Amino acid sequence: MTIFRQLLSNKKAMVGITILLIVVLVAIFAPFLTEYSPVKRVGRPHQAPSWEHWLGTTRLGHDVFARLVYGARVSLAVGFGAGLAITLIGTVLGIIAGYKGGVVDEVINFFTNMVLVVPNLPLLLVLAAFIGQASPLVIAVILGLTSWAWGVRVTRSETLSIRQRDYVKSAEMLGEPSWRIMAFEIFPNLISIVGINFIGSVIFAVITEATLEFLGLGDPNTVSWGIMLYNAQNASALSVGAWWDLLAPCFALAVLGLGLALINFAIDEIANPRLRTGGMLNRWTRMVRIGEGKL
Amino acid sequence: MTFLLRRLAFYLAAFIAAATVNFFLPRLMPGDPIQIMFASAGSELSLENLNALKLTFGFIDAPLGEQYLRYLQSVFTGDLGRSIKYFPLPVTELLGRALVWTLGLVGIATLFSFCLGTFLGVMAAWRRGTIFDSIVSLTAIFSSSVPAVVVSLIMLFLFGYQLGWFPNGYAADPLLDPGFNWTYISSVLHHGTLPMLTMVIVLTGGFAVTMRNNMINLLGEDYIVMGRAKGLADNRVMLWYAARNALLPTVSSLAIALGTVLGGSLVTEVVFNYPGLGNTLYQAIIARDYPVIQGQLLIMTAAMLIANFAVDLSYVLLDPRLKKA
Repeated sequence: MTIFRQLLSNKKAMVGITILLIVVLVAIFAPFLTEYSPVKRVGRPHQAPSWEHWLGTTRLGHDVFARLVYGARVSLAVGFGAGLAITLIGTVLGIIAGYKGGVVDEVINFFTNMVLVVPNLPLLLVLAAFIGQASPLVIAVILGLTSWAWGVRVTRSETLSIRQRDYVKSAEMLGEPSWRIMAFEIFPNLISIVGINFIGSVIFAVITEATLEFLGLGDPNTVSWGIMLYNAQNASALSVGAWWDLLAPCFALAVLGLGLALINFAIDEIANPRLRTGGMLNRWTRMVRIGEGKL
Repeated sequence: MTFLLRRLAFYLAAFIAAATVNFFLPRLMPGDPIQIMFASAGSELSLENLNALKLTFGFIDAPLGEQYLRYLQSVFTGDLGRSIKYFPLPVTELLGRALVWTLGLVGIATLFSFCLGTFLGVMAAWRRGTIFDSIVSLTAIFSSSVPAVVVSLIMLFLFGYQLGWFPNGYAADPLLDPGFNWTYISSVLHHGTLPMLTMVIVLTGGFAVTMRNNMINLLGEDYIVMGRAKGLADNRVMLWYAARNALLPTVSSLAIALGTVLGGSLVTEVVFNYPGLGNTLYQAIIARDYPVIQGQLLIMTAAMLIANFAVDLSYVLLDPRLKKA
């Protein structure tokens, strides 16, 4: 548990955690923060920010601030839900492949590499296009099913080296069942990698959900940041001068992304003391999936 | 040689997997997929269109296995079917027109960000711990965690609408005739600046962090210490001893970026209404033009695989150990 104590003493982590906490609190207490319903017409269309409507209104007369705070729920839910699924699949398959070796490893590794080389975004677009108007839940599920490969690769290679350690060997000598070795000898030593994988996947899921919805593949009745972008773009918010309609969700996404990235960076620094001299930062970069995560 | 052959076989398998997804998706839809596609595309159902579409997806009167083989055959012969929206325009032709713009935009943006990011990474690593390093690292982290859609929209808002420095869409002034003259070329450049800038912001951070870390790892090596002990100039050690070797792994991320960037430029193209592959895909999604959407997946997969293979090739050339493996 030292990793958590160290996180609290890391400046970057504190800033990141604070940002994340604020977003979480806003999402939980959304009904107390605004008197307006996010789905009701509460004003004239495209009103500029004012005392009554802090962030103005959309073309349909929805309150932008209300949609923003309620939308945080969806972004967080999809981000953490899909992030959890991605990490779970990646970690389990990675440990099994790395520890068992042999045919099991070959098979898992083959599929992992295959999923890695098929570009993620076009695949998601094709899937989402066939599903039609995808709800946040559906988006989270297809994200979970298609994006686990990187986690497997990282976890597997780390497991390969841990497997050779003495304490694993001695557990084997004592005749511990292999599931027990994987769960209690190997997994605890992977905790920082799992953490980095998790936060990286959350960032990826938040960005991708917003992008898919912005591209019109989401369910337009959802209250989420991606759908806000989609509606604002459809209402030509910029060309009619309603910048608040578009910039509010942009700002929210940027802030959440930054907060999560800072946490990830900090876990990295803690997990690897050499970090200030490189090492795992490299891996972190790949975890945010250059190219792939950049939608 | 065996190494390259094994990789080739693997890429072939990966491509077939992507094609298989394409083949089975329409068959997993409830009801008659062809009817649904036409209904959702909003076009009327002429017999001619219907038959063409059926051929596209290999819906012929034959067992599933044969349908599948026929489909693979048409994919490998470069036949991706016909667009529903622009019937009877072949998908390959539609995508070919867009490809030029995307290659120009994305190619230049990627190369530029690669050079800029690498340079910043080298400098940051060389001065690690300084303010310069902190600024570069933090900016890089920020730029790689903010969605491209956010960057694009903010750029469009600031420079397109507020300041009015650049046009808000299209690859060139639509009133001009395309041609090899200064008016047209300058119009293309003027229209391309904002999307290009957006892509550079989005891509540079990743390259910078990768290069910085490779470089920092290498700075502890004996031959770097040796170089300095010999009394070589700082710049010489930095560029010729460290940066040169740190560049090798970065080359691989450049190739991967070039492969994925076809998909990555999607949002930028949509926001700036740029007539590239990404925007074509977006229009196809809006119109539910399934053959075009699926063709894109195959083309982007192929691009990614070719980029990966190029990396393998470059590794064999750069790392003699692999030749024997």
